[in-house]
Amino acid sequence: MGTMHIDGHEIPFQENDNILKAALAANIEIPYFCYHAALGSLGACRLCAVEIAPEDPNKKPRVVMSCLEPAKDGINVSVSAAAARQVRQTVIEFLMVNHPHDCPVCDEGGECRLQDMTVACGPPYRRYRGRKRTFTNQYLGPLVHHEMNRCITCYRCTRFYQDYALGDDLGAMRLRNEVYFGRFQEGPLTSPFAGNVIEVCPTGVFTDAVFRQHFARVWDLETAPSICPHCSVGCNTLPGARDGTLRRVCNRFHPEINRWFICDRGRYGHQYSEHPDRPLTAQVSGVKVSYREALAAAAEQIKAARDRTGGLGSTREDLESNAILQTLLNKLSGRFATFSDPQLETATTAAVAALQSSGGAPSLSEIEQADAALVVGDLTTHAPMMDLALRQAYRTGAKLAILHSGPSLLTRFAATTLTVAPHEIGAHLLHLNEQAATASTTSNKHENEKKLADIATYLTTAQRPILIGVSETMAAPEITALAQLANALGSRARLAYALPGANAYGTALLTPTNSTTAMLEAIESGQIQTLIVMGNDPLGDTRLGARWREARQCLSTFIVSDCVATATAEAADILLPVAAWTERGGTFVNYEGRAQGFAPVFQRAEPLPNTAEVLADLAHCLELALPDAAAVLSNIFPGYQAPLPGTLGSSLSAFPLTMQTETPIGSAPLGHPGHWQVTLASWYGDDVLASYAPALVELAPPAAALIHPTAALKERIEDKEQVRLRGPAGTVVLSVQLNNDVAADTIALARVTLAQLGVGHGDLLELERIS
Amino acid sequence: MNDESNRQALQEDLAQLPATDPQRRAAIVPMMQSLQAERGYLDDKSIKEVAQVTGLSTTEVEELATFYSLIYRYPAGRHVLRVCDSLCCGLRGADRLLQAAEKYSGVSLGKVSPDGAFSVLPSICLGLCDQAPAALLDGEAVGSLDEAALQALLQRLQQED
Amino acid sequence: MEAVLTRHLDAHAPLSLQAYQAAGGYHSLDAAFDHKPEEIIAIVEAANLRGRGGAGFSCGLKWRLRGADAPRPRYLVCNIDESEPGTFKDRHLLYGGPHQIIEAVIVSAYALQAEQVVIFVRGEYGKGGHGLKRAIEEAEKAGLVGSNIKGSGFNLQIKVHLSGGRYICGEETAMLNAIEGRRPNPRHKIPRPSVKGLWQHPTTINNVETLVNVPHILLNGADWFRALGINGGCGPKLFCVSGMVQHPGLFELPCGTPARELIFEHAGGLAAGRTLQGFIPGGASTAFLLPEHLDVPMDFDPVAKAGSRLGTAAIIVLDDTTCPVQATLNLMRFFARESCGFCTPCRDGLPYLAQILTAIADGEGRAEDLILMEELCNTIGPQSFCAFAPGAVMPLTSSLQCFRDHYESHIATGRCPFDAANKSGA
Ligand SMILES: Cc1cc2nc3c(=O)[nH]c(=O)nc-3n(C[C@H](O)[C@H](O)[C@H](O)COP(=O)(O)O)c2cc1C
Ligand code: SF4
Ligand code: FES
Repeated sequence: MGTMHIDGHEIPFQENDNILKAALAANIEIPYFCYHAALGSLGACRLCAVEIAPEDPNKKPRVVMSCLEPAKDGINVSVSAAAARQVRQTVIEFLMVNHPHDCPVCDEGGECRLQDMTVACGPPYRRYRGRKRTFTNQYLGPLVHHEMNRCITCYRCTRFYQDYALGDDLGAMRLRNEVYFGRFQEGPLTSPFAGNVIEVCPTGVFTDAVFRQHFARVWDLETAPSICPHCSVGCNTLPGARDGTLRRVCNRFHPEINRWFICDRGRYGHQYSEHPDRPLTAQVSGVKVSYREALAAAAEQIKAARDRTGGLGSTREDLESNAILQTLLNKLSGRFATFSDPQLETATTAAVAALQSSGGAPSLSEIEQADAALVVGDLTTHAPMMDLALRQAYRTGAKLAILHSGPSLLTRFAATTLTVAPHEIGAHLLHLNEQAATASTTSNKHENEKKLADIATYLTTAQRPILIGVSETMAAPEITALAQLANALGSRARLAYALPGANAYGTALLTPTNSTTAMLEAIESGQIQTLIVMGNDPLGDTRLGARWREARQCLSTFIVSDCVATATAEAADILLPVAAWTERGGTFVNYEGRAQGFAPVFQRAEPLPNTAEVLADLAHCLELALPDAAAVLSNIFPGYQAPLPGTLGSSLSAFPLTMQTETPIGSAPLGHPGHWQVTLASWYGDDVLASYAPALVELAPPAAALIHPTAALKERIEDKEQVRLRGPAGTVVLSVQLNNDVAADTIALARVTLAQLGVGHGDLLELERIS
Repeated sequence: MNDESNRQALQEDLAQLPATDPQRRAAIVPMMQSLQAERGYLDDKSIKEVAQVTGLSTTEVEELATFYSLIYRYPAGRHVLRVCDSLCCGLRGADRLLQAAEKYSGVSLGKVSPDGAFSVLPSICLGLCDQAPAALLDGEAVGSLDEAALQALLQRLQQED
Repeated sequence: MEAVLTRHLDAHAPLSLQAYQAAGGYHSLDAAFDHKPEEIIAIVEAANLRGRGGAGFSCGLKWRLRGADAPRPRYLVCNIDESEPGTFKDRHLLYGGPHQIIEAVIVSAYALQAEQVVIFVRGEYGKGGHGLKRAIEEAEKAGLVGSNIKGSGFNLQIKVHLSGGRYICGEETAMLNAIEGRRPNPRHKIPRPSVKGLWQHPTTINNVETLVNVPHILLNGADWFRALGINGGCGPKLFCVSGMVQHPGLFELPCGTPARELIFEHAGGLAAGRTLQGFIPGGASTAFLLPEHLDVPMDFDPVAKAGSRLGTAAIIVLDDTTCPVQATLNLMRFFARESCGFCTPCRDGLPYLAQILTAIADGEGRAEDLILMEELCNTIGPQSFCAFAPGAVMPLTSSLQCFRDHYESHIATGRCPFDAANKSGA
């Protein structure tokens, strides 16, 4: 848009750029603290001083803050001018007046912006002779450690926490040189994005409480570009390891996905890989053996079973492993499936099919640009960073609408929230389709009808509407109905689904139609004798765990490979522990269909093979010629090239999935008298892997039966009252918690409770009062 | 209008606003003032009350409560004497007054007398420089103070209770 | 000069609506509604009414620059946060005659075509604020505030905001945050409040003394107003004189009246046997002047030319028993204490200066301290976020020039020469 000069360099700038932003884009260093690319300019730290030459040569040059000064065509800016340097040096001197000299023991060491800026601008000696002011710290929970004396009051933490992430329990208290960043009272930070304050803080005020427990100097950390395995968004991360153990995970910038931030599940979920129960040694019949011995035992059983072998892949396993497992089963003429629940299979494949025909899901940075959005389900817990992207859209005025059955953090920002029982979601989506088509506005509608009309209005009048479905809590017909709505809204509308697993998209592409049902039936009828389960936990499935546990009894051999101690791994005849994501390379396909490579960050003292290697070794023992992963994948995906770690990733050119999801909505059974419909009350730290991360588990809300106050009143159930829940797999006694975000006739339960009862979203349940 | 009806009017206004309306915040300071007028200071419970009524978080309320000099987060006496210590009063003996206040009351600045009767606080310029040295007693101006006048004032407060 | 702004003030028994109307109050409303809003703005601009809140910006120009086509709703904020040490003029206006203020904001809001007025009253003036609220209720009942005022079709709501108490709230953008219930840190002034002010709507902020001039200008004309001043000043001005004078007080005099007349005639001069050491002309955040400046007309440009600012026209007098180091330290402590804490130079620089001044006052100063303070002031003043810190360092930089020998003797002798004598200040 224009050009300015900085110390003799020609620097281009865009419209509305300030000098600092343009300079940084051109790789010109101007020291700064409070500016942040995502948070913008504030003008508080006063470090980014530069000198601007006057247009009128008779006037004096001006020293200005480059973050607040608009870039203008032709101006001459100097970073090195003595006057600007003097200002920066004095500002550093001021910031160091109260800063403790605790650098040798500070966790921020090695990545401390204050130290860098002090070296870059600062005075070598301290002239202030007074005492330093001191603060007491607060306990902020298991994730973030607080050390207020190091604060330089740049306001980045609260600007991120409150203004950007819309959290409300971290604030700036008091004034003058006593400004204090903390909570009203001690206690865990409640935002799902709290951990980012660690990275936005330029000093060591907020540091990683988990990393601290097993600390290493950051320059000693081994790192490599990785991809977060905890949901389908696929945020880019930079894990750090030392001495053969994983220590922490940080954000890694990806311009279209997570950009500067990651969620707390992504930052702290990695603790699963250092969990004491993590399987690290192979086992046969519960006895620890060498990897080779276990492999030989497995090969022997598979040889005996041949085409009566089954293989169950996983949405959290990388693309390579799933594809090789599929190939192996093909060679054996066995059976391959990827899901533990048929409903999840149809919903996920329906979602991927819909995305394929809708032209692809929007990236997070595109979601931020939306001016209206409809979310079906609870986005925060299934794709936290998608939620954060929607919060950005909300901040710029987008109308959010939410159609859901259970608790959801996003409802706070919704212009319209429709809370309906699981079985009514589909009907409401169909209504919405009609509304959008006719844009009718009849008065005197039922309240929900009015809300539907409002939602239809937001979506039809928006320039950039976005529809997002949470596929784990949707049935395939609902997935399709949402896609139809997107279709009806025309090409301005974009469609996305939060999918169940980091590689759910990639896995769905490999999934044979109705594979789960077929697999279960094949096991139950004895057609399958030996089952290889790879990174999946069918026995722990919420809805079908009990059936799988019974099916397992029909098997002669149960071979499991995993990196966490799931119920399935514990029930294995042959257990083959594998490397965690940070210990291996691979590829995940995120919700957009973007294939992203990740690199091994470190090796454990006793390295474990990755799943693809286990399968190759197994094939070797079986004397089967198995092509390598690259060959397998290019066979399946035309022109496939493995996406290199650290790049933007590539879109998978895959065959289109076809779905038979013409099951009409509304045929689902409506509520039975005396029964409650079940929905999932998840929380943002919750996924299979992260449930092995102690710091996150500490924050998990206690299990309770969440019901709406009106429903409770109707049934004369009191808050905190103990009730007995009866499901197909068992009985659970829980205390009731009233919650306005739960639909009528609905009961919201934690994932563990669902598994105990053997029910999933939309199933029916009996509730009994214990008097 | 007393503070309770004041508060009720505020609450009614708030009831009209959507939960995320930015104007809700505007009620925080009046709400705190009204509660403090009744309770003398704002304890944690009062902060929670303000948060609940305005729909904001306790942290957001605390951000303001701790900024303002006239919002007390610690107990204050039933009577609060704020003695100006800025320049014009300083020139005319404010430092001696503040020392005398501690001496006669036996309570250090910012603390509450054992019987809960009063607190003495230093204050920035009260806009009473024409009556320096000056103070505010429960919001009423008291000008042209000297040590004797101050002593009499404190004695009167002790006797009144 | 005949009293204009203080004519009807009575802090003990402020005029009721009826009495005020009987004395000619609210007549300017009819005059206003006979004019087009732009015409009133032109008259105010021609009168050269300069802002009385401290900066002295032309009131008419500010109003015109907001633009007649600014989007609605528009706000007018009347600033009665008066907390500048030495300043008590707005208190007299508030306690002495709330109806004068209401009349002024109605006429001003009409000129600006603003439908909402917020009067921001400092918390310590709470009693005055309540009096003002009652007066507004009276005016509402009489149809002077509300919808279709006197059949003009003009609608106006007036609200009183009582501050939680902090000097920085008087800064206009911090005030907007305070009203909105945000932390009262100042805002960046691009865009200006006149473009995006209260809740992002166009907002004009004026000091109460500025506004109470407007009805008189409207009734008597721009020429009348200009002619009221002397020595180049325009209009009547409220002067506060305090410190080491015999009769501190508020004096309404022609703008441009010299400091000598204010100190020695109206405020009764110094105590017997004392001599003038120096004075602050415009409230705590203005530079010290010396006896040689006594004849400078107390008007914006002449005081600026003398190296200080007219500010709030609040003169604080130091006599020869006053330790200027202690006096400066008192001011610096005030500013360090009241810094909002937003930007680095002010938040951390002012306590640094206060620490050095304390050391000097306590006889622990070092020779290099004076240069160090000057160096620090050179960054703090020009490089802070808002006008608070530039105002905060002005007394210090000027004090270092005006009273350098005192600083040097404190450092050289390791004691305060005024301590033994009559110790004042701090
Ligand atoms: C730190 C600071 C404090 C201020 N305090 C006041 C004040 O108490 N009252 C006031 O009228 N103006 C105050 N001002 C000036 C206002 O920002 C603003 O310029 C003024 O209210 C505009 O009104 P005027 O143009 O009528 O003078 C202050 C400015 C600063 C920088
Ligand atoms: S100069 Fe002082 S008062 Fe103004 S923004 Fe900076 S810290 Fe706040
Ligand atoms: S980066 Fe410009 S003031 Fe902080």
